[in-house]
Amino acid sequence: MLAIQVTNLTKTFRSKRKAAGLGASVQSLFRPEYKTVEAVRGLSFEMESGELLGFIGPNGAGKSTTIKILTGILFPSGGEVQVLGYVPWKQRQKLSYHIGTVFGQRPQLWYHLPAIDTLTLFGRIYEMEDRETRDRIAELAEAFEVADLLETPVRKLSLGQRMRCEIAASLLHKPKLLLLDEPSIGLDVVARQHIRDTLREMAKQENVGVLLTSHDAGDLEALCKRVIIINHGQIVYEDKVSTLKRSFLTSKLVEVRYAGQIPADFHIDGTEILKVAKERYGVKLRFETRITPVEKVMAALSAAGTLVDITISDPPLEEVIAAIYKKAENRE
Amino acid sequence: MRKYLTIFKINLLNSLAYPAELVTRSAMILLFMWIFFQLWFITFAAAGSDVINGLSLRDTMWYLLLAETLELGRPRLARVISEQVKDGSIAYLLNKPYNFLLYQLSSGLGESLLRMGMLFMVGGALVWILAGPPPNLINWPLALVALVGAWLLHFCVNALIGLSAFTVEEVAPFEWIYQKLVFILGGMLIPLDFYPAWLQTIAKSLPFAYMMYGPARLFVQPDMQLFMLIVIGQLLWLAVLGGLLVQVFSRGMKRLAINGG
Repeated sequence: MLAIQVTNLTKTFRSKRKAAGLGASVQSLFRPEYKTVEAVRGLSFEMESGELLGFIGPNGAGKSTTIKILTGILFPSGGEVQVLGYVPWKQRQKLSYHIGTVFGQRPQLWYHLPAIDTLTLFGRIYEMEDRETRDRIAELAEAFEVADLLETPVRKLSLGQRMRCEIAASLLHKPKLLLLDEPSIGLDVVARQHIRDTLREMAKQENVGVLLTSHDAGDLEALCKRVIIINHGQIVYEDKVSTLKRSFLTSKLVEVRYAGQIPADFHIDGTEILKVAKERYGVKLRFETRITPVEKVMAALSAAGTLVDITISDPPLEEVIAAIYKKAENRE
Repeated sequence: MRKYLTIFKINLLNSLAYPAELVTRSAMILLFMWIFFQLWFITFAAAGSDVINGLSLRDTMWYLLLAETLELGRPRLARVISEQVKDGSIAYLLNKPYNFLLYQLSSGLGESLLRMGMLFMVGGALVWILAGPPPNLINWPLALVALVGAWLLHFCVNALIGLSAFTVEEVAPFEWIYQKLVFILGGMLIPLDFYPAWLQTIAKSLPFAYMMYGPARLFVQPDMQLFMLIVIGQLLWLAVLGGLLVQVFSRGMKRLAINGG
């Protein structure tokens, strides 16, 4: 069964355009000029129920707009959408019983009250029995390891703790579909990993479909099976994550810091040096995992001096998208 | 219904999370009532009469106390909704299974109940000392009914102003104009009875009088005929403004653009 079916979705916003200066401001009072922004341009995709789908793209690509249309809070300008059999903007309230949402940049928990109060409120709003709410809260608290945080006012929680509570709150009413808009934004590596693991576990246990937007390639590597990359409101790539990894996420970035200075002619075979830190105490380099194995680079790096710190990361998504574009152009 | 009761309760709880705000507002009503007393004490002395147009100094002060309680205690809904639109948090409020307007109504009630109670008691203590004891207890139920009607009218106008944030960027000017209209035509600064007859007629045919003058006047001088007049007026205006609110909301949803992301 399809959880989401989107055909030819478009959304345009009209915003006032105003040049700088007093004269232009006065003019815009009487004769406002509008510019049209096409946030989503003819998007079509499907998602199976219980699927873990990654929806990624750079800032302003149209991810959040699409999610907001899927939840029914924005009206589309054109196209057809069905979410769990409902047309979101026409059946917003009915749909809301079956979906959970997290907009990573905004809190839904009451800031000055302990999370347990918001959770209890949500239980009532979703018309759950009090007993059912209590049991469900206990279950989620265990899964997200937040049992001892629920009584603390939300403002006193760390971002990572808060986000765990936020996601737990979105799962309270046992939704069939979870829409997560940038759930990992601003989190450190450990908190991010924790959330990914729990989400994956919960999704499997309860057969919840997860549509996740992110501009972090790591999120979807860890969570999703399939990925859709959008840019400028259009799909630029749609395939399995494993395929994406094989063809585009082939390089790694490594940043190291040493206890002592590295020689001016520092070099490791099979890597490209991007930057040498001030005073030559560290270096940032990139290598292709297909050509140079990770362990070989690690061994060479630790042999070069006393390591103080090391970070390995994926190239930013913008580069991946650029690579996808390049490949598409070459084919034409 | 149960969910709206819970929304009401969590807002009541939340208003307790800001004790400093409660105290500040209460201090404000003390200041206002003190100034009003000085003003009207001199006015009555200058008029050389205990009663002006049917109201005594004591009546006037209790009238003003009820009006100020409503004005300072009602939820600042226009600002709340426009903030929710501006910072995008409205997204969470719209994707829950409840009626958005009823949600705002229950949360506004929860927010203002405690505040209005505090304002009335703190301000009332001062008025009692300055001007004399409160009106007869028989007056209270009639005033309370009209107070509920007035609160609901405020809710409708405020929500309408707040929803205009769906289309315009800044709602503060509308709020300012509305507040000043209530001050003058609603009889908040000066009881409408002190106005010349023609201005009274104008004021009483507009909704503002039912939002302030009605309950305050009934509180100090109850009168069954006046009560019926006010309640019927409130119901009429509620039908007009409430209907408009529902219309504006469903139209606004189609146009909503959510900031951020």
